[in-house]
Amino acid sequence: MGLSDGDIMRYEEWNKISRIASRKSLWMLHFCTGCGAVELPPVMTSRYDMERFGMGPMATPRQADVLLITGYLTVKTLKRVVNVYEQMQSPKYVISFGSCPINGGMYWDSYNTVKRLDRYLPVDVYVGGCMPRPEGVMNAFLELMKLIDEGKARGWEKYQKYYEQYKRNQKMAFGFERGKNEGD
Amino acid sequence: MKAIEIIGKGEEMHGRAYIPSGREEAGTIIKKLKENGFAHFVMLSCVDWIDKNEFELVYHMWSYEHKEHAMISVRLPRDNPSMFSMHELFPQIETYEREIHEMYGIDFEGNSRLTPFLLEGWHDTPPMRKDFDSKKFAEDVFDSIPEIKEEEDEGI
Repeated sequence: MGLSDGDIMRYEEWNKISRIASRKSLWMLHFCTGCGAVELPPVMTSRYDMERFGMGPMATPRQADVLLITGYLTVKTLKRVVNVYEQMQSPKYVISFGSCPINGGMYWDSYNTVKRLDRYLPVDVYVGGCMPRPEGVMNAFLELMKLIDEGKARGWEKYQKYYEQYKRNQKMAFGFERGKNEGD
Repeated sequence: MKAIEIIGKGEEMHGRAYIPSGREEAGTIIKKLKENGFAHFVMLSCVDWIDKNEFELVYHMWSYEHKEHAMISVRLPRDNPSMFSMHELFPQIETYEREIHEMYGIDFEGNSRLTPFLLEGWHDTPPMRKDFDSKKFAEDVFDSIPEIKEEEDEGI
């Protein structure tokens, strides 16, 4: 069963409209790891006021669009982050804060910090710095909105497509591959 | 009365009372200090003196009456280290002992809650021991995880 050109065009048009709508109402999940959470109160409150971009904090993963990884991730936290990420509805986006999720940062030789977050979850926007200032965080939000508008923030599709690879890496980090872990 | 006068031994170190103690008598010393005003058990810490092949457990106590900090130090051999649990004197010691059991592998006789605490699924050397090579572990475990291989020209 094929789609006609008109169907595809309508589908594309509808996608464009839904993207415009969703980028103006991003809800951010309250899930803070590491030390980056201290940068969020000024972003959320009147000083920087992210609500003027239509962004608001949300307490449950099922109603949230954006997952913030605010700092270093331990193996133990990664399990919870994966749980939370998989509970979120598509389309969903991940913003990673600071240098720790990029390459481990100052915890590069730690026994308990997972180094590269993009090997376990698809990341749409990185914010560099240790820690990034609220200006950087705001800039990342605007960048994410721009990417959504252009249809380039497709990490969630990547997660579906390469699900086996992501799952394999997550299990390796959790220690299943080392053959000693007795289950999650 | 100062901690050193109560116990009858020890020395002043940076304004704190430092009381070295044997493995068996530590319980008596802590009980005696508790009865003499040292009502606040601050924390239990541990040091790995790998050159001397010893662990040092330090029990920190504080007296609000005398405004004095007392440290009771217990040295244990590094092979099969074992200590008596003090959770009957101060209940919060149970949690400190749990943590030290996990991070240093010291056994506490009488503590029934020495279950995994902060780490999950850990089967290696206890990570705070100085002979645990953290860098090598990180390289073996985390650097061996491959990147996600993406197909080309997918537009994703």
